Amino acid sequence: MQQYVCVRIARMDDVDIGLFEYDRYNTLYFFILNADEQIYLRYGGRDTSQDTYLSLDSLELALSKGLQLHQQFQRGKLPKAARPQPKFARDIPLLVERTYARNSCVECHLIGDFNLQHKELEGTLNKPQDMFRPADIRAAGVYLDVPKGLLVKEAKGAVADAGLLPGDRIAKLNDTVLWTFADLQHAYDKLPRSETAMRLAVVRQGKIVDLAVALPKLWWFSDIRYKQLTVDPRVYFETRPLAVEDKRKLGLDPEGFAAEVKYVSAMAKALQLHELRTGDIIIAVDGKSKDDLADTPELFIRLRTKAGDSAQLDLIRDGQPVKMELKTSRMSFRK
Amino acid sequence: MLRYAALAACLGSFAASAQDAIRWVDSYKEAREQAKRTGKPIFLEFRCEA
Repeated sequence: MQQYVCVRIARMDDVDIGLFEYDRYNTLYFFILNADEQIYLRYGGRDTSQDTYLSLDSLELALSKGLQLHQQFQRGKLPKAARPQPKFARDIPLLVERTYARNSCVECHLIGDFNLQHKELEGTLNKPQDMFRPADIRAAGVYLDVPKGLLVKEAKGAVADAGLLPGDRIAKLNDTVLWTFADLQHAYDKLPRSETAMRLAVVRQGKIVDLAVALPKLWWFSDIRYKQLTVDPRVYFETRPLAVEDKRKLGLDPEGFAAEVKYVSAMAKALQLHELRTGDIIIAVDGKSKDDLADTPELFIRLRTKAGDSAQLDLIRDGQPVKMELKTSRMSFRK
Repeated sequence: MLRYAALAACLGSFAASAQDAIRWVDSYKEAREQAKRTGKPIFLEFRCEA
């Protein structure tokens, strides 16, 4: 560590959030850069699984790599990266109103939430891109040997189909050079959600191998329930999509998002949001039974309604058709 | 949450292993100036105020 100048930033007031762009809900996030603000790599990550992407071994790897890259930079052997458009927290009026004006701390989470609120107000909120982040690389089938950086432990689904193998070390996503899990997650997350393919370069037995990956539907989906997002309509139930055969038996569209309710949180009752029960089959929301993106009714509601809005559900309960109103909950930011 | 707290503690002890040599600065401007002066790279951490 003594080979670095170590800096801790606890207030985001004057930070160029355009340069230091990352999902503000990460618990820990580090950047390694030089005095000219060229970022060599990033380190951090968070999800809801038991396998966190953070470890001391992977941090040590990142620190060593940072020193190597800095040496390359000093020898003029590292290409200069384009600097993103500068952006500051004070450019977000709602944030200014709630923090600067009250002399309160400008926290990372606040930047994340108020940025989304602004987009919602402006009508530019793209939920798959802005709300469901960071996109989860496991949706494409990438499972890493976390302490060893970008070493692939297991390849499933789309990346397995493209030829990714355990033991490969991921080196690039499209044209972005990657050194850490955070680099990979950031590059993957920056892909437009309409993207249908990506290129991975991997190191295999000392050689670079290029892979063309066809991205699956919902490649960008991630479990973001741990976030307190104001713009995310909370519904407090979970479903399991019906099998195609079951949909056919019920006379439903095989491509629709009909699903059986598997879990209802006590919060639904406490907040008087709906009266769903486990076993109910939701077949339509506001008259719609299928969607380009959503594969479940709850995802449809989260993507297609505004937090706090109501929706009409068409259900099958005990074999009988039922109509039910559902109200979504709008969360307020809390620390 | 406990998991992250534990990791944060571990990271703290990781840094603490070289505690005598580490001097955290809390100013980004100062960090850049130090990096220019010493030729060292910058390790930048974003974290909430305790």
